[in-house]
Amino acid sequence: MPQDLLVDVDTLRTQVREKYRDVALDPYGEHHFHTGRPLAARLGYDQPTVDAMPDRAVESFAGVGNPFSLRRLRGGERVVDVGSGAGFDSFIAASQIGATGRVVGIDMTSEMLTKSRATASQLGYDHVEFREGLAETMPVDTGWADVVISNGVINLCADKRSVFAEIFRVLRPGGVLQFADIANGRPVPIEAMRDVDLWTG
Amino acid sequence: MLENSGFGQVTVGPAVDTFAGAIGESKARSFDVFGYAFLAHRP
Repeated sequence: MPQDLLVDVDTLRTQVREKYRDVALDPYGEHHFHTGRPLAARLGYDQPTVDAMPDRAVESFAGVGNPFSLRRLRGGERVVDVGSGAGFDSFIAASQIGATGRVVGIDMTSEMLTKSRATASQLGYDHVEFREGLAETMPVDTGWADVVISNGVINLCADKRSVFAEIFRVLRPGGVLQFADIANGRPVPIEAMRDVDLWTG
Repeated sequence: MLENSGFGQVTVGPAVDTFAGAIGESKARSFDVFGYAFLAHRP
């Protein structure tokens, strides 16, 4: 692994996949973070919008903030959702951009992709698509996106510089990155930062 | 890191107590972990 990375990229990805497979398949099970409708309410999502969504669109939501709180999306925008999970934020985005826009969600966990695709079909969202891929190498054309969103995903990537470089690549000049993630107010000891179990737990 | 990656006009929203009441709350408290919204622009 590159010397400046704190944990092995593949080991971390395997653990993240396992964790979020559980969230996809057992959203009401025991997780170390909040999920679903209570979490959406805690994070300040627009309640009528969330209430109108079917349970399967919301129940596996496991974000850490609200990427729409600093800027509402505009009609017709093209949006990439990095680490789209079961699709909750992609569906929120779809409701804001309208039928003339487009959302492409990217995720690496097959159970999440299965769920998000089925929900998009249930909702009749022809302008939302989910693709399998990694945050560091997204299957999106250079300069395609007006906006990139993400929620609680970048902190789970070992090589954050590569992720931001990839987001920069898919955004058009003048494009916007609006995301939510966690940050720590106290320094984390280096030995804890090298403990891959702590990244997902 | 955002600015080093080429982004500008970076805005950070208020802290959100994402883990309050969750199983992972005590671990989050150990390092003052909160959720934030970020806004940045590609020049």
